[in-house]
Amino acid sequence: MTETSDRGEGPPRVAQLRPGLWDTVNERYPGSMIDKADFVPLAPLRKPLSECRLAFVSTSGTQPRGSLPFDTVHPVGDYSFRRVPTTSRTDELEIHQLKYPTASANRDLNVIFPIDRLRELADEGVIGGLTENFYTFIGYNMDPERLERTLAEDIATAISEEGADIALAAPA
Amino acid sequence: MSLQYLKDAAAAGDPEKLIRYVRLHFGDGNEEAGRREIDKAWVEALKPLLDVPPTDREFILETIRTRDPATLAHLFFHLHFYLVQRSGEWIHDGNL
Amino acid sequence: MALDVTEHAKPPRAVFLPWMMGHHFGVPFHRDLQRRVIMECLGFLESAERSGEVRTLPIPWVQARREGIEIERRLGLRP
Repeated sequence: MTETSDRGEGPPRVAQLRPGLWDTVNERYPGSMIDKADFVPLAPLRKPLSECRLAFVSTSGTQPRGSLPFDTVHPVGDYSFRRVPTTSRTDELEIHQLKYPTASANRDLNVIFPIDRLRELADEGVIGGLTENFYTFIGYNMDPERLERTLAEDIATAISEEGADIALAAPA
Repeated sequence: MSLQYLKDAAAAGDPEKLIRYVRLHFGDGNEEAGRREIDKAWVEALKPLLDVPPTDREFILETIRTRDPATLAHLFFHLHFYLVQRSGEWIHDGNL
Repeated sequence: MALDVTEHAKPPRAVFLPWMMGHHFGVPFHRDLQRRVIMECLGFLESAERSGEVRTLPIPWVQARREGIEIERRLGLRP
């Protein structure tokens, strides 16, 4: 799945920068990492991208300024989500997260929450449009069963109700 | 069930797994760093009290009396992070 | 970023980037790279053939960072 090269020439080195991450986290916090046995059925794209409404789902902890901060101190994590209006300017948004380096995102939010880029693609007609809101949560949630039962279900319902045809999801 | 091992440890009165989890949380996955963070928070809690300034004891006692245990425990976690931030030595840069 | 985590979670489609955490769409002010990541994902919507497929965008982190630094210098954001 990845190509690596330790010789001088040839394909660029594209290995995961932090090897063994799943094992490391699961060793420190047993049972906290998601491990699925089966693949979900692949849903085919039923219309051109230029007609699709896109929802973006992110664990970056990006949220509108003034909204209740994501809970970065709770020992078992935060299972809430925020709606980020897709008309938001990046200076109207802030990040509440402790588990990934945010220095670059603080300079250009699009490195982790590409709202400007997605708006441009919608304006250009590459995609049909955006949902009214994007959905965000944080990645520190140590109870995967609770995560699936509550947060994942809540977000799936919400983006479905917003009429999303496609969803782009990104961790942080 | 997720985190069942922690719930089992709590029920069995086995604190080691539980305190390890707390240290890992405070130390961003590094248990030794978490130990230091716990000590750091208590040092920061001690410092403003050395001159015995007036404090709002009524608020403190009222909060403890009227709030449920989970809220008070959550507050305790908030206070840890507040205090370590006051120390000026903030380790949570996201680089696990 | 975390290919092993992705393989355990088994999303229907995934694009893997060999980059640093917190940079899932690239580096600051590198608009073209940010768009390229998104377009790679959107293209995969149409071209994926089986659930669980992971595609790699083979841009080394050092290259992404170098390009980002050059862009910032051109924008006057960096000496």
